[in-house]
Amino acid sequence: MQIGIVDYGASNIFSVLRAISFLGAEAKIVTNPEELKSIDKIILPGQGSMGSCINNLKKNDLFESLKKSLSEKPYLGICLGLQVLFSLSEESPKDKGLNIFPEKVERLTKKRNLKIPHMGWNQVEFKKDHFINNDIPNSSNFYFVHSFASKKLNEKNVFSQTEHGEIFNSAVLHENIIGVQFHPEKSGDPGLKFLKNFIDWKI
Amino acid sequence: MSLTARIIPCLDVRDGRVVKGINFENIVDAGDPAEVAKRYDLEGADEICMLDIDASYQKRSTTLATVEAIANQVFIPFTVGGGIKKIQDIEVLLKSGADKVSINTSAILEPELIQHASKEFGSQCIVVAIDAKKEGDSWSVFTHGGKNKTQLNAIDWSKKVEDLGAGEILMTSMDKDGTKSGYDNELNQKLASALKIPLIASGGAGTLDHLVDAIKIGEADAVLAASIFHYKEISIERVKEELIKNKISVRSNS
Repeated sequence: MQIGIVDYGASNIFSVLRAISFLGAEAKIVTNPEELKSIDKIILPGQGSMGSCINNLKKNDLFESLKKSLSEKPYLGICLGLQVLFSLSEESPKDKGLNIFPEKVERLTKKRNLKIPHMGWNQVEFKKDHFINNDIPNSSNFYFVHSFASKKLNEKNVFSQTEHGEIFNSAVLHENIIGVQFHPEKSGDPGLKFLKNFIDWKI
Repeated sequence: MSLTARIIPCLDVRDGRVVKGINFENIVDAGDPAEVAKRYDLEGADEICMLDIDASYQKRSTTLATVEAIANQVFIPFTVGGGIKKIQDIEVLLKSGADKVSINTSAILEPELIQHASKEFGSQCIVVAIDAKKEGDSWSVFTHGGKNKTQLNAIDWSKKVEDLGAGEILMTSMDKDGTKSGYDNELNQKLASALKIPLIASGGAGTLDHLVDAIKIGEADAVLAASIFHYKEISIERVKEELIKNKISVRSNS
């Protein structure tokens, strides 16, 4: 079993790679459609802006092939890897996402005494029991760094929620596809457990 | 619920070893960086900071190996500082496993570095470290590990680097550093109200109350300390218990 970590220039691919290797799974950096075909599971890490994420995926011919793979292989999108699953983001409205979820990604609301980006450890309230959150206590803290988030979403796709001045969807779910706004590769034990469950997940 | 206060132990590293000394004199070897970092992780540290205290060009490969050794074992955010002069320095540190870099003197000598680095890698990984000392009613900024005084005022300089794209400010009070008499809460509170980005307080931790006060009075988002954790005077777990007692939310260690 080989996990492909999609490389489109995001700086955190190596920390994801390290975490997967630490957990004893075989991981491979994926940079083109051929490599994407050969792997068994997909992780799309992400940092930066939605527009550059989409454009870099397109530049490497990965956008369409990724879309196709989403109907076949277990997928874990981290941070921008979650956001790209939506139809679009307020961050770059002209760039269309993968449209697994027709809703959009919105800017976190600026409020007094509340810092944006939402950066640090915050509680994740799981709304569903799933293989992926097996053995992870509800309300565990995970590490976040982001300014945009999914706020409106069909309830059946809401995996977890988190509050930062307002409630947003910190994890989303659709069949073989999971997206997390937090960084499991930087979230200590609960994060490693989450990744381990993804490695062991069979669909 | 909302974001938790962060506790950040700092490792001073030289030649691939954790070292301890007062004002960088009488330095004693204090362990393997990856082992020490792992211990802090298990104790519940929310992030790890590593400061390369003689980051000379010749020893760069040792530093990178140390960064990699820590990153291979510790899966919480990891900041590396010391001797960063150019974009390429940041790039190799991030590739070696740092999540954030902390830039001090070079930010002052070449402020465009902050702008370029935050554009290239994102603000979230650019921490600007500032060493400041109170002089009259304001705080002056020093470079080169506190050796050279600049004309900069700490609060103005912090706001400037925030505008340039810094993601966090790591403020070390030179008056307090090494004294174990508490953080400079006056400076930190002024900074916290002036800044939109998170503030990490550093310098002066000696007791549990100091850490609580840095968050409650100094309004810091995170507290950094080296020796109290290093010499096991206070455990990170104990700090968190005390913060909870003071109604400050922390990440539980499970």
